[in-house]
Amino acid sequence: MPKYQLFPLPDAGEGLTEADLVTWRVAVGDRVEVNQPLIEIETAKSLVELPCPVDGVVTKLLAHEGDTVEVGVAICEFDIDPDGPPAPEEPEPAAGSVAPAAAEGANPAGPYAPAGAGLDGAASASAGSSGSAEAGQAGAASGAATASGTSAQAEGQTGGGTAVLVGYGVKDGSAHRRPRKDGAIESIGGAGDSDYPVLAMPPVRKLAKELGVDITTINPSGPGGLVTRGDVEQKVKATSAQTLATYANDDQPWLETGYSSDNGRSTRVPVKSVRKRTAEAMVQSAFTAPHVTEFLTVDVTETMNLVAKLKVDKDFADVRVTPLLLVAKALLLAVRRHPEVNASWDEVKQEIVYKHYVNLGIAASTPRGLVVPNIKDAHRLPLHALATELQHLTAEARSGRVPPARMADGTITITNVGALGIDTGTPILNPGEAAILAFGAIRQQPWVHEGEIQIRWVTQLALSFDHRLVDGELGARLLFDVGRVMNDPAHGLVWA
Amino acid sequence: MTATSTANNQEQVSAVRTLTLGGAINAGLRAAMERDPKVLLMGEDIGALGGVFRVTDGLHKDFGERRVIDTPLAESGIVGTAIGMSFRGYRPVLEIQFDGFIFPAFDQITTSLAKLHYRTQGKLTVPLVIRVPYAGHIGAIEHHSESPEALFAHTAGLRIISPATPQDGYDMIQQAIASPDPVLFFEPKARYWDKGEVDSTRVTAQLDGINGASKGTAEMSRARVAREGSDVTLLAYGPTVRLAMQTAVAAAEDGVSIEVIDLRSISPFDYETILASVKKTGRAVVVHEAPAAYGTGSELAAHIGEHAFFRLHAPVMRVGGFHTPYPGSKFEHEYLPSLDRVLDAIDKVMAH
Repeated sequence: MPKYQLFPLPDAGEGLTEADLVTWRVAVGDRVEVNQPLIEIETAKSLVELPCPVDGVVTKLLAHEGDTVEVGVAICEFDIDPDGPPAPEEPEPAAGSVAPAAAEGANPAGPYAPAGAGLDGAASASAGSSGSAEAGQAGAASGAATASGTSAQAEGQTGGGTAVLVGYGVKDGSAHRRPRKDGAIESIGGAGDSDYPVLAMPPVRKLAKELGVDITTINPSGPGGLVTRGDVEQKVKATSAQTLATYANDDQPWLETGYSSDNGRSTRVPVKSVRKRTAEAMVQSAFTAPHVTEFLTVDVTETMNLVAKLKVDKDFADVRVTPLLLVAKALLLAVRRHPEVNASWDEVKQEIVYKHYVNLGIAASTPRGLVVPNIKDAHRLPLHALATELQHLTAEARSGRVPPARMADGTITITNVGALGIDTGTPILNPGEAAILAFGAIRQQPWVHEGEIQIRWVTQLALSFDHRLVDGELGARLLFDVGRVMNDPAHGLVWA
Repeated sequence: MTATSTANNQEQVSAVRTLTLGGAINAGLRAAMERDPKVLLMGEDIGALGGVFRVTDGLHKDFGERRVIDTPLAESGIVGTAIGMSFRGYRPVLEIQFDGFIFPAFDQITTSLAKLHYRTQGKLTVPLVIRVPYAGHIGAIEHHSESPEALFAHTAGLRIISPATPQDGYDMIQQAIASPDPVLFFEPKARYWDKGEVDSTRVTAQLDGINGASKGTAEMSRARVAREGSDVTLLAYGPTVRLAMQTAVAAAEDGVSIEVIDLRSISPFDYETILASVKKTGRAVVVHEAPAAYGTGSELAAHIGEHAFFRLHAPVMRVGGFHTPYPGSKFEHEYLPSLDRVLDAIDKVMAH
């Protein structure tokens, strides 16, 4: 019965992973014997003749002359039992006998390596004394992938290594991973050394120092009694929740993210999010744009009358009509008469950017701090639409959910300080804008009206502007025009 | 070093070729010899034979015996002779056949080579490259698998570099040859047959440009982030870079993100890149084949401790050979850093 055996290109022990096939010395059908020249291959060093490993008949040549073949790839096939009885219907698969032969071939010290590889490498080829026939028989007999040889050779087979002139060949460390031990990590860095009062990583010690916590008072929860970052934070929280110097239960929401001093007399809160942005914006604005503020006290009785009328107007039944709405309209009308104020200063390019649209900002106090959302293209909105937008914006701000786009690209702003009962203020410009109007509380006051002292609705307006691009006169004209419309809304008709 | 790559070297068909590390160094040597006629090679069996690892294959044939010189088996003589030649304007590139053979030349290297620039108050430069195939994993006999880089890194006045990829092999050998300083060029011999793409244009443009030598020297002294990660910085060079990359893949399966830095230069270390990474991850593990004791990893650990103390979540761990002579080849895999040993170190630093 034919027994087929593949012959993989052996590592010639000369430091290569591949070789060029030069000349076959046998052909299919040739009867061959052990050590008969089989093929000539070319390596970097020289031409090498590979000896035939078996007695038998060549049944297939699997590579051509001129091919570059990687070590371990089969180049021919033998029938090592050509004289036996013919094969049954289902021939024994050749694979069973291939494995040990391939394994043997991967070992540079194996039987196929030619002797005397050269210069410094006498060791490379001499070790293979176990017969090739033996390997072939073992494979053929059992079909198991166990080649004869030492355990080191067996390891070499799995390494898939490269031969070298000196040594057994390149073999990297095992790529197999043994199972990771669970929770049995040896402690390092002296952790577990319980004679010392405190074990902690340097960054944790630093944190404790910064937060003013005595690290020796902390209960450690880390491996080996290590004080962790979490332990420090826990301790800080526990400490700061204790009695504040003010009143019992003085646990205010704005203190939540902070930590209190040991004596409870102060609490430090990291500056974050809205507070941080507000601070940055205000500092930037106050220290780059020279602010000038002008004031005007106005009799707004007519405006209040108009508010009252609109409140009962059925066209405005679905929106809230407030004095702020009319101030907004008055400002839009005034900006239309003095568009130079609707601009910004580009410090980098040394240019003034005049905006041909008004995105009207409304400063709003929200649960998370001060924000200035704006109404896009407010100059195009009729009063009803403006009211709708204003209402929408107010609701958004109250809920604390103002999308960033709402706050971007404002051109001029109103801050409604009057809503808090304040007469007026000196507002700081929203960065990137040239003017901001503070709208004070509207109160009934004695006021000279048509030559007599009457009780009138009076308010104060304050306009801050960037004096780099808005002169005092322009600011005054703008403020005066806002005041005129507030004083007599009919002026809106005249200008529009 | 194969027939194919040699053919490509001569033709320079395209800028990007696939070469082995050995083939890339061969191509780099060839390019350097073409660039500067003062470059010459010296070493044992590097001529007609092409060196035991065939790194100088074909150069003797193409450049002749006056530029590719077979020397006697006398390392001290090779280095001493080359120092003298470099005084007279040559740029010798020496091959020490194996790491363990360098010690007869230790005196020449540390006493003369490293000090001449300093001793002459900067009047004299010694542009000399010593190539040293080093490190293990080839199952060799004694003196053939050692990692002596720390012994030289401790000596001021030498540059110590080690490529891990064919691209670096090609680039760094040329940068080393162009450098005015003495360079020890440690070649990881177990990686000679690793293949990779080599783009020859970058180093050529660099070295042929203005201040090419100093740019090249700066470039070869820079570490490379071989893989980005966020939990642990794994520092390696030469033979252990591949192991570090394998570790990163294995650790990723455990959910640990490893940043692998191929240091490339051992003296000087590129602390800018190293510290930037360690400050990001807060953890560092060094892996090299040389014994961990008194080693380059110890220097890294100390420097990181000094400069990133408060960024560290865990001590810097070293994975290296043991403090024993290099073992017999049957046991070298117990001695050399392995995937499991590096993962153990990763586990330890990640416990914090």
